[in-house]
Amino acid sequence: MIEIQNLHKDFGDLKVLKGVDLSIKPGEVVSILGGSGSGKSTMMRCINGLESITKGKIIVDDFDVSKSNDLREVRKRCSTVFQQFDLYPHLRVIDNITLAPIAVLGQSKEEANDKAMELLNSVALGDRASAYPSQLSGGQKQRIGICRALAMNPSYLLLDEVTSSLDPEMTAEVLDILKILSKQGITMISVTHEIEFAREISDRIVFLDEGRILKDLPKDDFFSESGGKSDPRIARFLSKMGNV
Amino acid sequence: MYGSDGFTIYDIQLWAEGLSVTLSIFLISSFLGLLLGCIVGLVRYYRVPIIGKILMMISEFLKNSPVLVQLFLVYFGVPALIAFDMTPNLAAIITLTGNTTAFIAVIVISSIEAIDFKQLEAARSFALSERLILSKIIFPQSLAIAMPLLVGLAINQLQVTSLISVIGVIDLTRVGDIINQRTFEPFLVWPIIGATYFIMAKSIERIGARLERRFSAYHISNQI
Repeated sequence: MIEIQNLHKDFGDLKVLKGVDLSIKPGEVVSILGGSGSGKSTMMRCINGLESITKGKIIVDDFDVSKSNDLREVRKRCSTVFQQFDLYPHLRVIDNITLAPIAVLGQSKEEANDKAMELLNSVALGDRASAYPSQLSGGQKQRIGICRALAMNPSYLLLDEVTSSLDPEMTAEVLDILKILSKQGITMISVTHEIEFAREISDRIVFLDEGRILKDLPKDDFFSESGGKSDPRIARFLSKMGNV
Repeated sequence: MYGSDGFTIYDIQLWAEGLSVTLSIFLISSFLGLLLGCIVGLVRYYRVPIIGKILMMISEFLKNSPVLVQLFLVYFGVPALIAFDMTPNLAAIITLTGNTTAFIAVIVISSIEAIDFKQLEAARSFALSERLILSKIIFPQSLAIAMPLLVGLAINQLQVTSLISVIGVIDLTRVGDIINQRTFEPFLVWPIIGATYFIMAKSIERIGARLERRFSAYHISNQI
């Protein structure tokens, strides 16, 4: 369970998050939508402690993100897939995936390698295990990013605009993998601009606007005329994103 | 053309001794400078308060003043300040170590800062400790970035060692001077001395290039 309570985040004078309340139950797939500058990515970065919290609280399975003793536990439970992949360029694909499981979870090298190969095969990249990231396409890198996140056996998978740096073809190959994952019971929180994808995988849609949650609705309600679309801000957003 | 003051077999021995003094002072001060420079660089990179500032001031002084002045300061200044029997060789090692440290610190900081910081965030998000991030992610990548700079510095510092002959260290340059004064064969002596430095510098360059290739193996792009 992730509990976000009255979350505020300021960058100097700029108030990016102005009191966000959100709770995510185990097994839920939640998509966070919103225009650029709405605070979506900042909220994600607050969940795993990459940004400090100005005010409010985030609790992940009884661990408080803002307590340094708890942060490690939070991070072990939440794995992030990043927009720019952010793989370690000096490590081979397999070592990118096994670094944290070995160093943080204390897995043996064999155990971690077996798991990594299993994950790589599941994203059809088993043959690239010993390649370096620079030898891979963007879509391949992001599939590795997903494997790296899953190798930690996370309770929560945080997806931070994972297809924003990819062309449509590569976007499709990454989204296909995430669709399969979403059906396997892992809790997913996804910041995305892919409305169709959000509609397909999500249980719930949260719409952020100017640092506040404008709507937090079950998927079907969100996309219905009487639900989310009744809000002019959301209707405008959806039509701009090519979804009528 | 060889008079009674001509070359003797003893000159080869003298040359070898000068070479070994130059090499050992160079290697010792480079090794110590590398070690201290990494520490200073990390202290400054992690913005350790006060110590970071003090070290920065010292290294700015060392980078921006002539090595010869620093050498005089250590050789003549330190014994005047604290009753201490300073030998030329020790003064040479101290000065060159300090000077190398200052330059290494700059290289360390700039090569760490050249790493894409977002992958460090990624590592943090997977609960890796700062120590592990330093050893497994920052160190190997900054080493690859720093390698050409380190090689350049090493070659430069090798040439700088010739200054220590001024305070009486019997290094390669001083040996050249001694032989030249006896033989009056500057066009034979100095090319040989120069060639000796040249060969050492080229060797450093070659070893450096090999290490560089090894450390930056991951930079092969778009090979299928």
